[in-house]
Amino acid sequence: MIDVTVRMSVNGRGVERTVSPRRSLADFLREDLGLTGTHVGCEHGVCGACTVLVDDQTARSCLIFAAQLHDARVVTVEGLTPPEGLSALQAAFRDCHALQCGFCTPGMLAAAHELLAENADPTRDEIRDAIAGNLCMCTGYVNIVRAIELAARRLGASAAAVGAQGGAAPAPPRRE
Amino acid sequence: MTRWVGAPLPRKEDARLLGGRGLYVDDVARPGLLHAAMLRSPHAHARIVAIDAAAAARRPGVHAVLTGADAAAVSRPIRPLIPTPVPLPDWCLAVDRVRYAGEAVAAVAAVDRATAEDALEQIRVEYEPLPAVVDPEAALRADSPLLYPELGTNVLWHDVFEYGDVAGAFARADGVLGERFGIQRYASTPLETFGAIAEHDAGLDTYTFWTNDQRPGLTLAILADSLGVPQSRLRLVTPDVGGAFGNKRRPAYLLVCALLARRAARPVKYLEDRLENLAALMHACNGVMDLELAYRADGTVLALRVRDVADEGKNLVSPTQHNLIKLGNIVNGYGIAAVSYEAYSVLTTKCPSGANRGIGKPFMCFAVERAMALLARRLGLDPAELRLRNYVGTGQMPYTTPPGAQYDSGDYAATLRRALDRFDYPAAREAQARARREGRLLGIGIATSVEPAGTNLAAYELVTGRRAASGSAEAAMVRVEPDGRVRASLGDPASGQGYETVVAQIVADELGVTPDDVHVERGFDSATTPWLYLSGNYSNKFSVTDVGAVLGAARAVRDKIRRIAAHRLEASAEDIELVDAVARVRGAPGRGVAMREIARTAYADVLGLPPGEPPGLEARHAYQNALAQPVGADRTVRSQLVFSNAAHCCLVEIDPRTGQVKIVRHVVVHDCGRELNPRLVEGMVHGSTVHGMGAALLEEFRYDADGQLLSATFMDYLKPTALDVPDIEVDRLEHPSPFTPLGAKGVGEGGAIPAPAAVANAVEDALAAYDVTVRSLPITPEQLWRWLVASKEAR
Repeated sequence: MIDVTVRMSVNGRGVERTVSPRRSLADFLREDLGLTGTHVGCEHGVCGACTVLVDDQTARSCLIFAAQLHDARVVTVEGLTPPEGLSALQAAFRDCHALQCGFCTPGMLAAAHELLAENADPTRDEIRDAIAGNLCMCTGYVNIVRAIELAARRLGASAAAVGAQGGAAPAPPRRE
Repeated sequence: MTRWVGAPLPRKEDARLLGGRGLYVDDVARPGLLHAAMLRSPHAHARIVAIDAAAAARRPGVHAVLTGADAAAVSRPIRPLIPTPVPLPDWCLAVDRVRYAGEAVAAVAAVDRATAEDALEQIRVEYEPLPAVVDPEAALRADSPLLYPELGTNVLWHDVFEYGDVAGAFARADGVLGERFGIQRYASTPLETFGAIAEHDAGLDTYTFWTNDQRPGLTLAILADSLGVPQSRLRLVTPDVGGAFGNKRRPAYLLVCALLARRAARPVKYLEDRLENLAALMHACNGVMDLELAYRADGTVLALRVRDVADEGKNLVSPTQHNLIKLGNIVNGYGIAAVSYEAYSVLTTKCPSGANRGIGKPFMCFAVERAMALLARRLGLDPAELRLRNYVGTGQMPYTTPPGAQYDSGDYAATLRRALDRFDYPAAREAQARARREGRLLGIGIATSVEPAGTNLAAYELVTGRRAASGSAEAAMVRVEPDGRVRASLGDPASGQGYETVVAQIVADELGVTPDDVHVERGFDSATTPWLYLSGNYSNKFSVTDVGAVLGAARAVRDKIRRIAAHRLEASAEDIELVDAVARVRGAPGRGVAMREIARTAYADVLGLPPGEPPGLEARHAYQNALAQPVGADRTVRSQLVFSNAAHCCLVEIDPRTGQVKIVRHVVVHDCGRELNPRLVEGMVHGSTVHGMGAALLEEFRYDADGQLLSATFMDYLKPTALDVPDIEVDRLEHPSPFTPLGAKGVGEGGAIPAPAAVANAVEDALAAYDVTVRSLPITPEQLWRWLVASKEAR
């Protein structure tokens, strides 16, 4: 197998590496870029732990080859985390005790991020549906659902507050 | 004064874990790290005729290869917990014979995992297949294939225990209910698989391990023994652990890494892939239980007679624990006065059994609570009423059960009543009746259970006839640093329970600081953390022992601060209180010394110490819970120590077209004594309950007759997803234990123990018109369909 050179944006920074064609995106992120926040739980696309955002859509990084992602935009948990403190979604996870061992959490955050980008006010059933591809062995999902509800409420309230002050409400991130 | 203990604080751990800044074993970087892969047997049972690994060793990128024979030449067998009549050496890789599909026979260390896996394909193993033995009852038979011919049997342990007048109770009884129950193999399958890094320093001849092993104390003993290295030359570090639930142990893999690392002169990492995890790490024992229950016409249960066969697979490391723990809890929450218990621990050619959330108690509870449901049906009693007639009463606490367990506190009837109340039980029954008239299949299930915490290893004397390890204990350290800031560490590496937060709450209360002021070390490091052979993250023991260790260390430091402050302030140490990081004279808040200043005295200005007071401001404390006692002459023993309790009410609806069971509602009321952090307690109850739901409806390691595992991926071994489980409703009572340092009790297992029984009882209730008896799990759509078809044919 001939190594290939791949160039992509990871968490907003351009990266260029020469990799084996069989290098999975998960291994590329973890081993080549040192982004160990992305976790690998099953390596067959079922558990969702390795979920990241590729061009704003959730993707199983264990099932994609890095070589497929030339010119793609990849966002991992590190990219979803502000330089200081936590995002609104992360803070809601903390406030609702939506994580225990933390191993599924980066993938859950990616799934929840995608949901809230598409649907600012999801129902409980919609939340459960959105995270149904992410296994959590610790929480029984109850507090994860609550956290996503809380994050939606808080994000909606802050958007409404901005609107009430006469400013334009920030547009939610959209899929291209 | 507790300002912080009992507060529902958010966790200190969360910021790093939410930001992807945790450090799990797979994240640990070491210079020159090699990656190991293991070659595993495709046969359930075979003789290894020959292994040729030369081609693998020659491949580019491969640094070391190890076969079973190599391992046997340079290491000792893993010390068994239960001595067998003849020695059954069990090396870290299979030697001469494989005894389950997936048993490792060779390992390769290479520059990366893919290169290591490529090299495995170059290892040629010649096997001579032998007959598999999959069914534990078949394994008992004299003509069964034997895993260890030198043992002459597959039975590792067989015994009969009798407590109280069983024969008399059965003779006096108005009736006897007998039933055979079965439990499948399942596991909690933490999302992070098991793994380790081993590094050998050839200059010092020392070994360092980074691993998510949850019992470092016991594992260090095994490593030293097998490597032939003094424990003083071993170091074991546990970083963040991605869930454990009992499953995270396999000293053999640490040994393989160590032997490869020594051979390659480079650090070596091995991390299971999911297939290896599901096929070869550990499963809860499957088994069968014949249970007879002698009762009076009013529903009082007089005695139990049990014959239990636990299928250990190929487990020489920790067999019999399922049997012992079932025995210790067999009367559940009921005042049953007489018990006969026959236990078999049987080897089969399957994955080794091992600890799994609740060890044995989910099956105990399934069998006993199913029997109670059947008895209620037989007697025409409401299942809740039957239980209320049989509970150990509050006036009887502390209550000793026939096998010797001591139920320390709690009001089991009040727990159930609260659950019925929260469930709105009468209204639920009415709604069920209405639904039935519409032809819908709604069922209500009740199950209640005790949930023990803290294991007394002396109980193994019942099996071995001698005492090796015993009691229940843990160690901790609290240190005020020279700048006055606080550090704590614990011999029990957390795997998601939030110990960094709870330990900080406990220490903050003792030292008059805030939890933010207390840095609790992540995980475990045998070089710096105080620890015992008994140290580890197991048996729900935090409340029983760990809290005592932390309190003891914190109080020793507190007392020293008071002595130093009293000397400085010319006051009596008894009059010094610690408030807001100041040691001050009680009643005279103006007279005080800041903790920072005390620390400066203790570490730097040591002439300012009271006469005779040694410098420094640190304490290590090891605590053992006094409830643990040796085995009594009558073979009673407190195998576990304090007892929480829980009541579950479950509402299911069955779709007769698809056989799908939907859990509509699930109410849990639990009592784990004093809740040190109610937010964490509730989260634990949710997760634990969902483990039980998975066992009830989805999860099964299913083997074919040849011993091949048919459900070795998460596509076939189904875990509950967010769509499979409801919003679990939780309420609580708080009866503190008189026998734990802060009155807290265990909480990790109270969901996983009764949930399978509650769901099963609900399913059976939904199928009342079909005359179905639920005898085993999981209740899959296929199983449901078979019941419904059989019932139609019977009509």
